[in-house]
Amino acid sequence: MYAIEAVNLTKKYGDFVANDNINLTIGKGEITAIVGENGAGKTTLMNMFFGLQRPTSGELLVNGKKVSFGSSLDAINCGLGMVHQHFKLVPSLTVFENILLGVEKNKKINISQKIKLKTPIINKNFEKKEVQKIIEDYKFELKADDIVENISIGAKQRVEILKMLYRNVDILIFDEPTAVLTPQEVDELLLSFKELKNQGKTIILITHKLREVMEVSDKVIVIKRGKVVGSKATKDTSSAEIAKMMVGREVILNVSKEDKDVSGNKVAYSVSKLSTRDNFGKKVIEDISFEIKEGEILGVAGVEGNGQSELVRVLSGLMESTEGSVRLYDKDITNKWPSSLRSAGIGIVPEDRYAQGLCKDMTIFENIIAGYHGNKKVCRNGILLKNEIENTSNKLIEKYDIRVAEKNGNVSQLSGGNAQKIIVAREFDSDPKVLIVSQPTRGVDIGSIEFIHNKILELRSENKAILLVSSELSEIMNLSDRIIVMYKGRIVGEVEGRKADSTEIGLLMAGLSLE
Amino acid sequence: MKKNNTLLKNIFNVLFPVISALILGGIIIAAIGENPFLTYSVMIKKSLFSLDGLLKTLHFAAPLILTGLAIAITFKANIFNMGVEGQAVLGAFFAGVVGFTVKGLPPVLHITLCVLTGIVVGMLFALIPALLKAYFNVNEMVVTLMLNYVVVEIVKFLSQGVFKDPASGYVSTYPIAESAMFKKIFGSNLTVFFFIALIVFGIMYIVFNKSKLGYEVKAIGKNPEFSEATGMNVSKKIIIIMLISGAISGLAGAGFLMSEKYRFTLDFSGSPGLGWDGMLIALLGSHNPVGILVAAVFYAALKTGSDYIGVFTNVPKDIVGVIQGILILLLSVKFFNEKFYLFEKVKLLWKKSSSTDFNK
Repeated sequence: MYAIEAVNLTKKYGDFVANDNINLTIGKGEITAIVGENGAGKTTLMNMFFGLQRPTSGELLVNGKKVSFGSSLDAINCGLGMVHQHFKLVPSLTVFENILLGVEKNKKINISQKIKLKTPIINKNFEKKEVQKIIEDYKFELKADDIVENISIGAKQRVEILKMLYRNVDILIFDEPTAVLTPQEVDELLLSFKELKNQGKTIILITHKLREVMEVSDKVIVIKRGKVVGSKATKDTSSAEIAKMMVGREVILNVSKEDKDVSGNKVAYSVSKLSTRDNFGKKVIEDISFEIKEGEILGVAGVEGNGQSELVRVLSGLMESTEGSVRLYDKDITNKWPSSLRSAGIGIVPEDRYAQGLCKDMTIFENIIAGYHGNKKVCRNGILLKNEIENTSNKLIEKYDIRVAEKNGNVSQLSGGNAQKIIVAREFDSDPKVLIVSQPTRGVDIGSIEFIHNKILELRSENKAILLVSSELSEIMNLSDRIIVMYKGRIVGEVEGRKADSTEIGLLMAGLSLE
Repeated sequence: MKKNNTLLKNIFNVLFPVISALILGGIIIAAIGENPFLTYSVMIKKSLFSLDGLLKTLHFAAPLILTGLAIAITFKANIFNMGVEGQAVLGAFFAGVVGFTVKGLPPVLHITLCVLTGIVVGMLFALIPALLKAYFNVNEMVVTLMLNYVVVEIVKFLSQGVFKDPASGYVSTYPIAESAMFKKIFGSNLTVFFFIALIVFGIMYIVFNKSKLGYEVKAIGKNPEFSEATGMNVSKKIIIIMLISGAISGLAGAGFLMSEKYRFTLDFSGSPGLGWDGMLIALLGSHNPVGILVAAVFYAALKTGSDYIGVFTNVPKDIVGVIQGILILLLSVKFFNEKFYLFEKVKLLWKKSSSTDFNK
């Protein structure tokens, strides 16, 4: 008997088939990895497993019994739990309060042996003991009465897992669990997976990080364009083979980059002693200084939430700096508006694709000119030149291999990778002197990652200065010439890209110095 | 093909409330013992299919086209200028003041001066909420809405005091000079003001569909963060949008005064008022200039038609008010639905309630 069995599971949205006759089995007590490019249909499949969406046709069997979930509550009652990519925790409450949120234990007054009166007061001591007990059962490193906002991201994730375990779930679905973790925390999580497996839990791991797949899973299922294209025992396969199945062709996972000496080049972009405060007056970046030379890629590594986002916001003109200066060659561009930055020659690929980079409800053409819509080429006397815009857009769509179903349609129809390529096309093709690139490949399929990486390196060989901010350590290490690591708003270390090693950077990311 | 679909959907979205309102109105007419078909046919014939009536309809449509456009441009940018009414009234009042205080100017000059006064006053009055919104992030909906009441008091005070025409039997300012009036063309009801409104419509059509500003308005309305990040100075754009809206509102009021009322009275704007009618028209026309043009003519036709109903049938002309009321109700459902996905939520609830019996 399998933990989960899907028989001809299909999900259609109108004409679009997100999942096409999926047949798969997930063995009890095993760790199964489900991999695939973004937009391949992994999330839809998991949402059907977890009751967030209903299949159009097909059957779902949990522990051999046919089920039909109306909501995620039904799924939890059947022993299925999901740990989401973005945590759903209340920061100001303690660990045990978060775990028991919604199923609080109330104090009871015993009137007689049979009749117990439930009071509205929560029995905190009892709750704490209960949570501490399961923490020990699963050997998690956690204290039941810590406040959630004070614990590390890895610990928060463990709270999420406990939330599910407490509800007697024995099939756990993890959606991209390692996206926000430091390398050390990833290792801890993988250990937890093994521990959970020893306790007899079934784990489904959705990921695109092949290292984790190879290290921890028993079985790999590859999904492509809504179909299962491969299902193998992990020990019989290799990461190269999985990558090939995902993309349908050979992929060079490590882009080759020739080393070049930039020490003689001019400094294109320099930041000195930059600090800023957020709306609450808290210093979010402090004393940031760096220089980027022409033809150089400077990587900014760090666990998310350590000031990288704010740094990019300040550098792209969305947030004001309180101290320090930014220079483009010998021009002072501190606290300039985004439009002046663009016309000065700075290309910006923002962190959040759909919030700052694109407008989902506008057409592809309208998005391709955004930020450059005042240029003489597309706009004369305040009137936009429709034909020019269409021509330029069509050229870019071809040059950057953006796959669109309908050219006049909105951006919302595009997959993550293709949407990102629109931003990349727009910013890279405007011939900038300096590029600020933030999280260029987040949620992007492997094929597009390869494409975007190659484009970044192309610009490097055209002698542009590039600032690359990413929480994907492998990306930073592959592309950068130099790497700075941010921790709590400060630069805590700098390493040569060539000599970088992930343990060293990982320690810096965790705020531990090199000694 | 997809484009066609959305067009059909849009037309349906507009026609559905109109037809439902007419049907419900028809039921009410039938309930008072009159023939709804006769009533409607009189209304349509007199307001749209006779030359005289049609010109009158177009004449009344002119200020409504303008207020509709004034509202649409702010709504497109997802800012809500609820003060179109106040801006129009204030613009009209001061256009009137210039109309009767300045004397001896040639008509062209005098009319231009009055119209410009209306525009400038409308802009200045819209500037208050615009600045508050752009620099202090004060909710423009509240400010514009409340300022309408301020306008009511200001014009009441002024028309009862300094500008009161003692010869008039009720509260009213002096009539504007002959040279400041829009003349009727060939004795028909139509004046040059209608053509001014059409020109403004043409300009706004280009602004909405082809200009950089229209592009930015759309982007700000859909995603302000994106607009800011791609270098549109959102605060500045909000001020510009509000100023345009105020200018058109002021023009609407001034034109209405100079082509129809000729003097300012306390019930100048009528009930519910030019600005509020404009809001209904903008909603009916889905914030699209062409839609607004059609909706304004339709709405004006209802108004002119109502004058004839009383003459040719026994239905009181207030039935038009009833139809307007129903229309507002139906349109607001649509508006709410767009904002809060009402239908989707109901559908979801329905689905949930029918799928609870799974686990047994």
